[in-house]
Amino acid sequence: MGAVEGILTGFEVALSLEGIMFVLLGVFVGTFIGMLPGLGPISAIAIMIPITYGMNPTLALVMMAGVYYGAVFGGSTSSILLNAPGISGTVATSFDGYPLAQKGQAGKALAIAAISSFVGGTISVVLLMIFAPVLASVAVSFGPPAYFALMLLGLTAIASLSEGSTIKALIAAIVGFMIATIGIDPQTGTGRFTFGSANLLDGIDFLVIALGLFAIAEVCFLVMNRRKKSVTNGKDIGSLKLSKQDAKEISGPAGRQSFLGFILGILPGAGATIASFISYITEKRIAKKPEEFGKGALKGIAAPEASNNAATSGSFVPLLSLGIPGSGTTAVMLGAFLVLGVQPGPMLMGDQPEIFWGIIASMYIGNIFLLILNLPLIPYISRILTVPRPLLISLVIMFSLIGVYAISFSTFDLYLLLAFGVLGFIMRIFAFPAPPFILAFILGGMMEQSFRQAMTSSGGNISVFFTNNISLVLIILSVISFAFPIIRNLRKKKAH
Amino acid sequence: MKKLLGVSFLVLMLIFLAACGDDTSTEEDTESNEDTTSEGDVDSEENGDWEPEQSIEIVAPAGAGGGWDTTARMTAQTLTEEGLIDQSIGVVNEPGGGGAVGWASIANKEGSPYDLFVSSSPILLVPLNGQSEYGHEDFTPIANIIAEYAGFAVREDAEWDTLPELFESMKEDPSEITVVGTSSPGSMDHIQFVRFAKEAGVDITQIKYVSAPDAGGVTQLLNGSADVFSTGVGEVVEQVRSGDVRLLAVTSEERLEGDVLSEIPTAKEQGIDETFVNWRGFFGPPEMDQAAIDYYEAKFKELSDSDAFAEIRDNYNWEEMFMGSEEYEEFLDQEKESFQEILDELDLSEE
Repeated sequence: MGAVEGILTGFEVALSLEGIMFVLLGVFVGTFIGMLPGLGPISAIAIMIPITYGMNPTLALVMMAGVYYGAVFGGSTSSILLNAPGISGTVATSFDGYPLAQKGQAGKALAIAAISSFVGGTISVVLLMIFAPVLASVAVSFGPPAYFALMLLGLTAIASLSEGSTIKALIAAIVGFMIATIGIDPQTGTGRFTFGSANLLDGIDFLVIALGLFAIAEVCFLVMNRRKKSVTNGKDIGSLKLSKQDAKEISGPAGRQSFLGFILGILPGAGATIASFISYITEKRIAKKPEEFGKGALKGIAAPEASNNAATSGSFVPLLSLGIPGSGTTAVMLGAFLVLGVQPGPMLMGDQPEIFWGIIASMYIGNIFLLILNLPLIPYISRILTVPRPLLISLVIMFSLIGVYAISFSTFDLYLLLAFGVLGFIMRIFAFPAPPFILAFILGGMMEQSFRQAMTSSGGNISVFFTNNISLVLIILSVISFAFPIIRNLRKKKAH
Repeated sequence: MKKLLGVSFLVLMLIFLAACGDDTSTEEDTESNEDTTSEGDVDSEENGDWEPEQSIEIVAPAGAGGGWDTTARMTAQTLTEEGLIDQSIGVVNEPGGGGAVGWASIANKEGSPYDLFVSSSPILLVPLNGQSEYGHEDFTPIANIIAEYAGFAVREDAEWDTLPELFESMKEDPSEITVVGTSSPGSMDHIQFVRFAKEAGVDITQIKYVSAPDAGGVTQLLNGSADVFSTGVGEVVEQVRSGDVRLLAVTSEERLEGDVLSEIPTAKEQGIDETFVNWRGFFGPPEMDQAAIDYYEAKFKELSDSDAFAEIRDNYNWEEMFMGSEEYEEFLDQEKESFQEILDELDLSEE
C-alpha cells in the first residue's frame, strides 16, 4: 500500500461518524484533565484505558491519541493561570504565561497558548504524515554521545533563563543537578543519596519538584503577601482578541518552534519537556528584546506551546514506527495499544494501515476540535482567578497533592512536595531563580547517563564526542550558544 | 450570581474529575485497610475449605503500564469475568525502589488472606543487590502463572550468526563488545546475559555492560552504540519480524512457538547448557493460612487453564508456566542461589 493510499484510508477512518465521535470524546476528556493542575497525559491515558476494553482497536486508539495530545493542549491552562504546571512540557509556558495573567491579561495568554498549540499540532501532523515512514531512522540516529551533546546545548541556556544574578542561577542549577542524582544509578545499580530509604530508590519525580517549586512556593508567597491587593482583579481577564501586531509577533515563534519541537519530539527520551525549554531559549536568544522574556512576553508563551504540542506528535514516530516508547507517557500509551492487541512497531504500517494512518489523520481533526473547544471556554476557565483567594489557594494545594499522589500512590512523595515547596519559597525570598533548577534537574539525569554510557562503550575515550557527526554539530552549537550573549554584550559596549 | 454559579460548577467538575482519576487506588486502598484491621482473621476457621468473604486486593509493586501491573490487571479481570472468584478484586499500584516499597507494605500485612501481590525475578535480585530488606523468603509463594524468555539480539548486519560465535569474540577481546540492557548491572537484563556467558567460559568480570532505561536499548542497538541487546524476547520481536534485528538465541528450554519465534534457536541447542526464565506469579503476605493458599492455588490453576487467559497470553506474548505453591518455593530458592553465585563473582552482591 502506497503512502497516498494509506493517507486516504486514514481519512476514511478519521472522517467516519464514529471516527469523529471518538476523536471528539478523546480530545474533550484529554483537554479537560490536562487543564487540571497536577494531572497530565499520563493520568488521562491511564484513566481511559479501562474504557477501551473490547472496543474496535482503531477507534479506541484514535480516541487514546486524542486524549494524549488533548491533555498536552490543555496542559498550559494551569501553568498560565495558577503557576501550577500539570506536565513537564508546560513548565516553560509558565515563565511568561503566569506573569501575563498576573497583569490582567489571562485571556490573551490562554488564547495565545491555544492558538500556538494548534499551530504546533497541525504543522507537526503534516510533517508526521509526510515523513513518518522515513523518520524512524532519525529516531534511532542519536547515540549516547549525541544525547549528551543535546543536553549540553540545553544547559547553555541556564544563564539566559535567569533574571539578575548569574551566580545565583548557577547555584540553583547545581542544586538541580544534585537532586537529579538521587536514586539508583542505572550504570552501577547502586543507590545514591537515598539514606537507606526505599522511597528514594527511584529518584524524585519531576512533578514533585515542579509543583513544589512553582505551585506550592507561589501559594506560600500569596499567603505571605495576602494584604497586598491582587494584581489580577477578578473581573478583568483582558480581551481574548489578538491585535494584528500580536498575531504578527507570535506567528514567527509558533511556526519555527513547531518544526524544532517536532524534531526533538521524535528523539526518544527528549520529548516535549526538552523541546519546550529549548524552543523557549532559542526564541529568547534571537529576540530583539530578550529582556521582555519572563515578564509576560507573547513569544515566550507561543514558543514553548507550539513546541510541546509538535513534540507530542513527534513522539508518535518512534512509538508507531519502531514500537519504542520514548517517555513515561508514551510507555503508558504503548500499554493502551497492547491491551487492544495491537503491537506498534516496524510492521504496523504494512499490517494494519488503518490504525497507523487512522491515528495520524485523526490528529488533524482532533487539533481543530481542540481549538474550537478551548477558545470559547477561555472566559469561563479564566474565571477561576475570580475565585476568592483563600479558596483558590486551597484548590491549588489540593490539586497539587492529588497530582503527586496519582503518580506514585505514596504519602512520602507528599512530604517531598511540601519540602520542595518550602525550598522554592526560600529560593524566591533570596532571589534564586527556579527555572535553572528545574532545567538542570531535567537535563542533568539524562546528561549524566548518556555521558557514562558513551564512556563505557568507548572504553573511556573522550574523543567519541567529536568523532560522531551529530554530537560534533551539537557541541559546536553549544559553544556558539554559550558565546553568543558574550559577543553581543561586547558589541553593545563598542557601539556605545 | 450567574458568575458564581458558573465558577462553582467548574470547581465541582474539577473535583469530580479528580476523584474519578484517582478512584482505582484510593477507594480500594481504604476499603482493604479497614477490612484487614477489623475482620481480617475471623474467617480462617479451623482448616477445611476457605472462601474469601470480602474484596481481595492485588498489589502491583510498580507503576501503571508495566509487566507486573498488566499481569495483575489481566489476572484480576479474568478471575472476575470467568466467575472464578465472586468477590471483587482490586489492583493497586505501589511503585518505588524496583518493588521494595510495595514489598515492605505487604510484609506488614502478616497472615491476611486478602492481600496478594505479583512479582518476578526482581524479588530475588533486588534483595541480593541490597536494595530491599524483604525477599521471597519473607512471603508466601502461591502460584506462578506465566513466563517470558530472554533473548540476545544483534543488528541484522552483525558479524555473529550464533551465540557461541559471539562468546568466542568476547573471549578474544571483551573491550570490543558492548552489551546493553534496560536495567542496571546486577539486575535481570545483565544477569541473564552473564549467566550464559559464564557457561560458555567468558570472563564475566570483563563484560562491558551499559544500562539504557526508557526503552533506549533497541535504539542503542540499532544506531550501533551497542552490539548486543539483552532483553525479553517480546521487546524485540517486532524488530526481528521487520528484519532490522536478529536474535542469536532464546533462553528457553525448547524453541518458542509463533511465526518468527519458532525459527530462533535456543542456547541449549547451540551447545550452551543454560536456561533463563523470567517467571511471573503471585505471592501472599508472610504466614498466610494453608487453607487460603490451597484456595488461591486452585483458582490460579483454573485461570491458567482457561481459554480466556490463553488469549491474553497470546496478546502479550506471554508463555504458560504454572507452578503450585511448593514447587514454586523450591524453584525460587534454587534461582536465588544461582544468582547469588553470579553476583559474588561479579562482586556486586551486598548480602
